[in-house]
Amino acid sequence: MKKILFVVYQPPCGTIWVNEAFRTAFGMYGEDIEPELLFLNEATISISQETGPAKLGMLSLKMVQKYIKKYETKVYAIKEDIEKFCINDIDARFGAEFITNDQVAELIHSKDFVIFM
Amino acid sequence: MVILVKYGTDHAVESRKIAWAKESDTIVLLQDGVFWAKDDRIKEAEAKKIKVFAIKDEYLSRGCLEKDAKVPLISYDKFIEILEKDTKTVG
Amino acid sequence: MKFTIQVMVPPYTYEDMDTAIKIIEAAMKRGHEVRLFLFSDAVLAANSQVKPIRIDRSIPKKLEELAEQGLRIEVCGICLDYRGVTQEMLIKGANASGLPELAELTMTSDIFVNLMA
Repeated sequence: MKKILFVVYQPPCGTIWVNEAFRTAFGMYGEDIEPELLFLNEATISISQETGPAKLGMLSLKMVQKYIKKYETKVYAIKEDIEKFCINDIDARFGAEFITNDQVAELIHSKDFVIFM
Repeated sequence: MVILVKYGTDHAVESRKIAWAKESDTIVLLQDGVFWAKDDRIKEAEAKKIKVFAIKDEYLSRGCLEKDAKVPLISYDKFIEILEKDTKTVG
Repeated sequence: MKFTIQVMVPPYTYEDMDTAIKIIEAAMKRGHEVRLFLFSDAVLAANSQVKPIRIDRSIPKKLEELAEQGLRIEVCGICLDYRGVTQEMLIKGANASGLPELAELTMTSDIFVNLMA
């Protein structure tokens, strides 16, 4: 089995990368690959209940949440980034596990390939 | 792991990637990432016994001088050699 | 060894396709099997209709030459549709594919080089 971590760092409003990171991660299930996803920097605002790219007429994150549930994809967010962006209303549909910035090094080093997007 | 850094010294993610590197990792600086080769902060990575290299052509093409490089400058052939020895990547 | 290189940002605007070509050439010179996956705006690099000015490099032509030398080029089909590039417009040696092919390339790669978005 190969272990892949997708690290998405760009915001869900104005860039396609949150949707594309999840779409790519879900595509990995056709092979013996374990994909996981880490929210970093501005991408972290995805897990706020108030965030909605669809409010700007952009692609929603609803489909992503549906497939996270279906595939039980592991999602991480960094506590320091949640505080930095003042996110108080976590959207439970991402099922995110919260880790500290210091724990990211260990997470990265447990993978075969780490893909930033 | 081999960690690729392609954005410059003001990029928020690249500085975190470098900070998360561990002993025995290799950092390869390419594109605007070569500006890290002149930055004192890259010495902190070397102090953690992380090997750091910069792509020579991309460093020189940006007007950087060989004498200012704080890390070895390498070719793409050497970059491939590095990947052959450590196949786990962060890019 | 099997190398896969993934590119996500557009050619000419960014340096990633140039970097990918240098990695491909160096890896092929050392006898490795090399595959390229073009994702998101990077699919434009495989558009045969791209016409740079005469003094500039032709990235699609260069990819075509590398494909003749054995480079496997897979191009995200949904990304092509989003950008109005048809399969008929692709350079020789490039295949419109998708995430199942990316998963297969990831699974069978000894080395996966992702050029961060």
